[in-house]
Amino acid sequence: MQRAAKCALRLDLSRAFCLSRSGTVLSVMQKSLPPPRDEEEKAMLDSMLRVDHAGEYGANRIYAGQMAVLGRTRTGPLIQYMWDQEKMHLEKFNEILGEHRVRPTLLLPLWNIAGFALGMILTRIEGTMSCTVAVEESISEHYNSQIQTLMEAEPERYTEWISIMLLKNFVMMKKKNRDTGLEHDAESVPGYLLLKTVIQVDCKAAIYILQRI
Amino acid sequence: LCCGYWDMAALIRGLRAGRVLRGLGSVAVQTLSPQGSNVRRAFHRTILLQLVNDSKSDTSVPPPSYHEVHTAGESSSSSAHGESSEDAQPNTSFQDQSGEHGEDYETEEQLQARILTTALEFVPQHGWTVEAIAAGAETLGLSSASTGMFNNGAGDLVLHFVTQCNAQLAETLAEQNNQVQLGQAESKKTAEFMRDAVEMRLRMLIPYIDTWPQAMSILLLPHNIPGSLKHLSTMVDDIWYYAGDRSTDVNWYTRRAALTGIYNTTELVMVQDSSPDFEETWAFLDNRIKDVVNMANTAKEVQATGESVVQGLMGAAITLKNITGMNQRR
Repeated sequence: MQRAAKCALRLDLSRAFCLSRSGTVLSVMQKSLPPPRDEEEKAMLDSMLRVDHAGEYGANRIYAGQMAVLGRTRTGPLIQYMWDQEKMHLEKFNEILGEHRVRPTLLLPLWNIAGFALGMILTRIEGTMSCTVAVEESISEHYNSQIQTLMEAEPERYTEWISIMLLKNFVMMKKKNRDTGLEHDAESVPGYLLLKTVIQVDCKAAIYILQRI
Repeated sequence: LCCGYWDMAALIRGLRAGRVLRGLGSVAVQTLSPQGSNVRRAFHRTILLQLVNDSKSDTSVPPPSYHEVHTAGESSSSSAHGESSEDAQPNTSFQDQSGEHGEDYETEEQLQARILTTALEFVPQHGWTVEAIAAGAETLGLSSASTGMFNNGAGDLVLHFVTQCNAQLAETLAEQNNQVQLGQAESKKTAEFMRDAVEMRLRMLIPYIDTWPQAMSILLLPHNIPGSLKHLSTMVDDIWYYAGDRSTDVNWYTRRAALTGIYNTTELVMVQDSSPDFEETWAFLDNRIKDVVNMANTAKEVQATGESVVQGLMGAAITLKNITGMNQRR
């Protein structure tokens, strides 16, 4: 439990640094989305925004779950700070969705409960770090594929959005490099590889479903 | 095949000779094919008054985007009421390959839209049928065989009408929204806005109210259901958007479901209503909207009560833990 708490602390410190930057990033994103030109493009933008919104919503609920368990411990204030950052992101995404008349995913209530439960679980198990690393790898891959799609469609229209996602990717990669030491600790957890695979498959499935529903 | 050939001769009379002959030349080979689908394609091609080079006359025109068909339909419906096709047609297609020949350039979709709009005048007389479309085509100077263009027959006519009404509604709502944002008008409360929007949309049915049950049953045919559902959901989304709904959670779905229910039931009441100016329908609409608002308020109250109850219980639990000394920090 001690080690998990230490891991969580170091993780949170580094994330706090990254996320304070991405708050401003999202405010740029709001104005950088050009209105879609035709139905195909709208459908593509719709599904991408829907997935990203669901992701932010899920992250929000995960922090809520973590707070519910660790709220009164030493890491409580940090988690609260991170949660506030995520709330800001979610608000911005809500605005973007409303502005572009994008349908939010039907699975939001499910996401609500699942995220909260996941947050609570993450505080308990020793493999918190490995979970986080696995999730962030999946998200990074997802952003990469979104960037590829936008680049294939028409790079010029989406330059700003692409550069924003590249920035977020870069931030996550830097954090991962900083946390490499921690990952060695995490790798000592038995069943690490299995856990990582399961989590990554889950993330991929979730992204696939959210794009459609 | 013989009649097809004579009908095309009638077409030539109605259209500008030079342009069509150029098109005819390229499709003459196809005309004589024994297969019916080829005749139809050839027919379509002659209708395409496309002023491009001969090399390009065989390429089919990609359909314009959705709102451009609208603007074409609307501008042509506003300017054309029984006018012959020889009048100047608005050039709103985006594919302006030969900009110098601006006039008399129309895609198949625009022509279809014009025929259907004109056909609406004959609906009270013929009902929502292919006969109405044929009558509309004849008014435009085209042969009644041009109904062959419409694979879905009466379904095309009904869907066109629905599209037109929805576009008009969206335009009016956008205009009202503009005025509110410019400060020239006051914003309405949600319930009032809903009521006005639904009433406005349903009033567009009044000229066709006698034949509307027929149209509704056409919309319920299996192959028309995807189209009609899409139109319905777009309309409901439009109304909520202009009412100011920017929700991004489950409310998005519940609100639209509620409005769909209100709209459909009010429509059903309207076709059976015989009161002057449909007073009973509007009264029914008022009551339904009140119901939904009540339900929403009740749901909010229940949620608030539930939260208070939970907080009360938590408080009681903590007090108990304090009393028994279980709440000390280790």
